[in-house]
Amino acid sequence: MSAQKDCEFLVKRARELVSDDPCAAKAWLITARTLYPADFNIQYEMYTIERNAERTASAGRLLYDMFITFPDQPIVWREISVITGALRSDCQDKHALFLRGVFETLPGRVQCEMLLKATEQCFNTLEKAEMLLLLLKRFPESVVQHGVNLGETLLEAEVSESLDTPVNCFRKLFVCEVLPLIINNVDMRLPASLLQKYILKAAEFYIGYVARGPSSDGQMQGAPEVGSLKSPSGSRGPQRYVIDGLSEKSSMVTEPWERLLDILSVVGARCEWQGEKGQRSYVDMLQRVKELCRYLPSLEGEMRSRYCSQMVICSVLVLFRSAFLYASAVQPALFQGLNALSSGPWILLEDLSLVYSDVEVERAPVKHGHKKRKLADGREKTMSSDDEEGLGKGRGRHILVNKTEMPGWSETLESFRTARESWDLLHSHEILETEFKKICASWKTDNWLWFRIFLTDMIIYQGQYRKALSSLHQMAAMQQPQPGQQSPSGQASLEGSRALIQQASCHYALGEYRMACEKLLDVVSGLVPPNHEPVKTPEDQGKVKNKSRKGSDLRLLPCTSKAILPFCLQLMFACFKLRVFTDNRDDLSLGHVVVLLQHDWPQGESLFLKALEKIIQQASFQYENFFNYVTNIDMLEEFAYLRTPEGGRIQLELLPNQGMLIKNPSPALGGVELNTLLLQGVQTIDRHHTVTRGITKGVKEDFRLAMERQVSRCGENLLGVLHRFCLNEKIMIIQSLP
Amino acid sequence: MGDIRQSLLPRDVLSAAKELLYHLDIYICNLVQSGRQPPQVDTKTLELVEEFILHSPKDRNIQPRRMSALQELQLLEIMCSCFQEQSRDAVRQLMFSALFSLQGNQADESRMALLSKLVSMSVAVGRVPILECAATWLQRTHRAYCVRLARVLVDDYCSLVPGSVSTLQNIHSSSPRFCCQFITAVTTLYDLTTEDLTPPLELLQMIVSWLQDDPHLVLITLLNTPLSGSQPISSLDLTPLGGLVRWCVKAPLAYRRDKKQVLTNGTSDNETEAGPLFSTLHLSVLQVLMLLPSILNEKGLFGRLALLQLETLATLTSDLSRLLDQADKHAHGPSSDAHALSQLVLDRLAQALQVALANGALLCSREDLRAICSRLPHNNLLQLVMSGPVMYYNNIHTPPMAFSPHSPIATHQPLAPHPASHPSQYPAQPFMSAMPFPYRPNH
Repeated sequence: MSAQKDCEFLVKRARELVSDDPCAAKAWLITARTLYPADFNIQYEMYTIERNAERTASAGRLLYDMFITFPDQPIVWREISVITGALRSDCQDKHALFLRGVFETLPGRVQCEMLLKATEQCFNTLEKAEMLLLLLKRFPESVVQHGVNLGETLLEAEVSESLDTPVNCFRKLFVCEVLPLIINNVDMRLPASLLQKYILKAAEFYIGYVARGPSSDGQMQGAPEVGSLKSPSGSRGPQRYVIDGLSEKSSMVTEPWERLLDILSVVGARCEWQGEKGQRSYVDMLQRVKELCRYLPSLEGEMRSRYCSQMVICSVLVLFRSAFLYASAVQPALFQGLNALSSGPWILLEDLSLVYSDVEVERAPVKHGHKKRKLADGREKTMSSDDEEGLGKGRGRHILVNKTEMPGWSETLESFRTARESWDLLHSHEILETEFKKICASWKTDNWLWFRIFLTDMIIYQGQYRKALSSLHQMAAMQQPQPGQQSPSGQASLEGSRALIQQASCHYALGEYRMACEKLLDVVSGLVPPNHEPVKTPEDQGKVKNKSRKGSDLRLLPCTSKAILPFCLQLMFACFKLRVFTDNRDDLSLGHVVVLLQHDWPQGESLFLKALEKIIQQASFQYENFFNYVTNIDMLEEFAYLRTPEGGRIQLELLPNQGMLIKNPSPALGGVELNTLLLQGVQTIDRHHTVTRGITKGVKEDFRLAMERQVSRCGENLLGVLHRFCLNEKIMIIQSLP
Repeated sequence: MGDIRQSLLPRDVLSAAKELLYHLDIYICNLVQSGRQPPQVDTKTLELVEEFILHSPKDRNIQPRRMSALQELQLLEIMCSCFQEQSRDAVRQLMFSALFSLQGNQADESRMALLSKLVSMSVAVGRVPILECAATWLQRTHRAYCVRLARVLVDDYCSLVPGSVSTLQNIHSSSPRFCCQFITAVTTLYDLTTEDLTPPLELLQMIVSWLQDDPHLVLITLLNTPLSGSQPISSLDLTPLGGLVRWCVKAPLAYRRDKKQVLTNGTSDNETEAGPLFSTLHLSVLQVLMLLPSILNEKGLFGRLALLQLETLATLTSDLSRLLDQADKHAHGPSSDAHALSQLVLDRLAQALQVALANGALLCSREDLRAICSRLPHNNLLQLVMSGPVMYYNNIHTPPMAFSPHSPIATHQPLAPHPASHPSQYPAQPFMSAMPFPYRPNH
């Protein structure tokens, strides 16, 4: 017989009893323990009973005893690692709460020792770090000894595991858990350079976190809901987001910008930055940097570099925050969790809403006085308040937005302005610019599509269109792999064509009309015209402002087919407008202009009259596509009138291959008929027939029939017609521009 | 004093008693104030108490006066408020003692009767000062009278009025001292020898729940009593531990006997209810024993005060061997059920002995254990306990199982009220004794 046999016997008896009579089992074990106090199995069995019954106090007491008496037992360590695992996890189930409760019953000294030893036994860096973190959180005095080492270990792990994103588990732990402990510990003395390194690590993390794209996981989560017919996209819940290696809950960071500001204010205080008194807002921060900027040239040495660090770090944070806010407003689909809420996407383009109303054309030809009167009748141009007075001060460039469609317009424009100001500050001194470029290089900001979007818009705003074009080339390259996405409104959005649309706009601004048209026609070929004409709201009609503007305004347009197709038509019109209203004769361009003027009719009424005037001057007009694309009844009427003697017997060659047939057109009959048809009450005038009656009659007949057919097309969807025009006549349109 | 008697005689019974209580209060206050040590209530006053409160005849010639039930109730109420209003503990104690200390005369019967009614009433209406005085009374009075008081309370609260047990339950919070003494008294009273002396289930449940709430409860008297060595002869034990051990160990046999009787009536299933209760109670007892070393060490009594006496345990084991023997005979052949019960009895005995020995509640050698258990049937655990743990050389640092072998207990007799029969063996903690001992559990 041996002690071991005795112990086995005692434990065996307890085990036999535990399910039926736990008290008896415990009585056996108490007895056994007094007999063999040095036997581990007896105490472990006691602990097991208490643990299985989830009795916190007694389990804690027994664990303590085991930890003291058997510090080298692997089973004890297995038990401790289960408990520390529960401490690290955010699981809220009953057993996890019990395990945490057990740990809480232990004396602080033992907790500390347990955590340190458990840390030593961890081989996984993340687990080890989490364990050490538990220690640091509970025992602030241990921060001095372990804090910075833990931080460096995490930052090294990130490198050694070659993680490609700053939003990784190690960085999360470092930024959100370790860093606050380090910088808030009053006993810590850290060099400013280290603190600056840390704040940049934190900033990179938080920016990466807020700007994270929708995860593929999240999209899969959303897929079944999207599939339901009733609401194709509206019901998509908040997407789940998990940082690799962390749980969903610990992957969440609440109010990232505020956390970053917290860290910044502590670091600022520790680095003795100018005017850093506790919490301040990002806006205040920029103000402070602007003030400091004035002193910079007069500073030297250590003082200068300290000012510099403060200015660069503060400006960088303001820049990226504002740029993010702007980008998240104009292209929300880039970011996780923003889809459901926002109204975007939006695109910054030249404002062409005035392109149909040419001030010079106000002096309408007297000849068409009767027409003019009719057309202008009851269509007083409404005044608009759709302007952003007070915004965009400084350079005086206006950015127009439709305030009802974009509820957060003022914040968005404010963010855009703040971001531009920060950018300017960072480029106001060479020393700042150098530091800024270092940060950008280390963060690889060149790869941030959202920042590229901001940069491009900023360059466009600055009017540097050549530079903007090269920026757009980069953006296009980045956007390539983006799959077509559904926008919240359900219509196909054109986020993928953002670069192309802006390129067209930039080429136009540079006077490169042919390039502009090429790009815009590429855009249009990807658009789907709306199946019915949009009902014009008063606001839409009021787009035109009476007040004369320089014509260098910008507009934030919804990046959707509905808004972009009209813009493209305006842009195309703008490209031809200057060319057409010169002394040179170019019937093809003039024809295009007439086709395009139909859009947004009667905005272009005066320009149309101007075009008619030119045709009258030329006394003839040849445009074989006329009947394909002109369906506007007012226009048809005017053209029909042109052929009448009152209209000046203008020779019109509007049918394909008609030119060679019509030598001496006599539009009398056709004109009469048309006038009867179109202009009721106009007196018909009898005319003698021409000698070429046989031929002209045939021609007149064709024209008449074409007109009649055309009148029946008046109800056709104009945007559909114009879209077809863009698609079918693409080559001809481009070729008609130099 | 003679004047007082003269003034009391013409009064009616109630007002005389009331007047005397008033007088007693003043008299004892003066006595305490005078600072005479020890304050002693004189015989004359005690006689007045016997005559006018207990109504014991002073001599055969005078017809004893009797109180009506209503008058008695009024008197009890007056006494209750009298103790409640007296703020000085010493005065209260002296007064209680003057009224209820047994004098060994014929008045003692009415004294016990009145006391029982007063305490029962105090339990009902929560008169803490009286319960505290009663706790002291239970410490100083011969155990025969203590168990009588306990019996009245059990009858009143557990048997007579169903559902009133919860009132008694509350005494553990209102007067833990009284509660502790009450437990000691009932465990002394109910020795499980007959059905009448088997604790009612309600009482058992109550005690189990008390101990589960606070195991320290049974050590209150020990903790509060300065052990001057003047424990009154034949008073109750300092703790109910001995009585509780007896209960738990004997219970399987006692309740089996009950079951047999009850089964013929075909009514209760006492055993199935009592079984788990005793298992819980037994565990609580062991847990209380585990608390002892630190308490005894604090008082400097570790190894010097036997809370369980070897003699008591010897009586228990001889009872057991007789009962087990009987049970064996009654069982008519090998019954596994009977065997299991007797093994449970022996397991519990072995556990109690071992844990008591290890925690300094029992001061004896394993040799002594072997002696008192020699006639019991075989049980593996008991064998193990009697032989003691196997000691290896590599386990030499293991702390000793019981008290320090160097504790010179034998020469400090006054502290041990019941010196063990083999005082010289106390220090002989047999480290290696297991080796020559032939019996080991055959597990």
